[in-house]
Amino acid sequence: MNKKKSIADQRTLTIQKLLIRLELWFAPLLLLLPLLVSLIFLWEWYAKGFIVGSSVYDGELLLGLIVLFGNLAFDVPFLRSIRMLKKKQ
Amino acid sequence: MLFSEMTTREAFKITKQKMTEYQLEFLNRLNAIEVDAHWFRRVFHTFTASFLFYYIIPDEGWMRVVKIVIPTIIVLGMALLEARRLRGAINYQRFFGLRSYEMKRPASYLYFGLAVLILFLLFPQQIAIPCLLCASFTDPIIGETRYYLGKKRAYIIGFMVSFFIFVATWYQANWWIVILVSSLGALGALIGEAKKLKLVDDDFMIQMLPALILLLVWQGGIVLGVCILPPKMILPI
Repeated sequence: MNKKKSIADQRTLTIQKLLIRLELWFAPLLLLLPLLVSLIFLWEWYAKGFIVGSSVYDGELLLGLIVLFGNLAFDVPFLRSIRMLKKKQ
Repeated sequence: MLFSEMTTREAFKITKQKMTEYQLEFLNRLNAIEVDAHWFRRVFHTFTASFLFYYIIPDEGWMRVVKIVIPTIIVLGMALLEARRLRGAINYQRFFGLRSYEMKRPASYLYFGLAVLILFLLFPQQIAIPCLLCASFTDPIIGETRYYLGKKRAYIIGFMVSFFIFVATWYQANWWIVILVSSLGALGALIGEAKKLKLVDDDFMIQMLPALILLLVWQGGIVLGVCILPPKMILPI
């Protein structure tokens, strides 16, 4: 009975610790949202510009590429830093 | 004990215990993940480029109101949060990656949000987009290169990155306008980043300074009978 209670207490404590760690919950959003937005820009260019043969959406192609590569350039060292810290532990 | 010898109750009990142990191990593993504050701040900057999604949302009917109200509420919420933190109602340790000088003044994310709100509501997208992208990419690039190459070279690289961003977003304008706007915009972004002010954060200045310079150039052009603004880059869905 005591063991059961201590497991439950430990779980509550770990959940509380996790809830405080906002950075952990933010990380997937920080990584995925820019990629999603850049893909939307690229899709808009492809579907409404490239297929139709219109150059009106070329700006969205440029922005999509800037957002995509700009984010990837910083996402990789960010993920690497998480792995490095994990290894250190 | 064989499975056939167990009662349903016992099997249920063992399964529940195993599940709890597994859940606890998973939570502990999650909690053991360490996030590097330095790279977290950098990624936070580049993430803000996704705010450009704002311009994809249609401008018609009630959506126009939503496009004004929602960003305003978000920034007001951030201001409220910061006010509570500065008053001590919320522990600063809850804010991951805060710099030491942000302990007693509003944190940079509030300045960043305020600048984005002003850009979205008061500036045409042709001016707002490159200014926002400068804050998203030029700022972290200067920060990183300053560490490896020194201040001077970092600012040269920062100027070149900003110049490229302005050229890429104004490419539809006349060539002399592209050069003029890119030079002024990049210079504004660089001064906004390099000049450290006590009360206003560089995340605010890197967006507002080039935006104000380009606003003046644009309005000056209108007075002279020349419209320098190129067509819009992002068209609403």
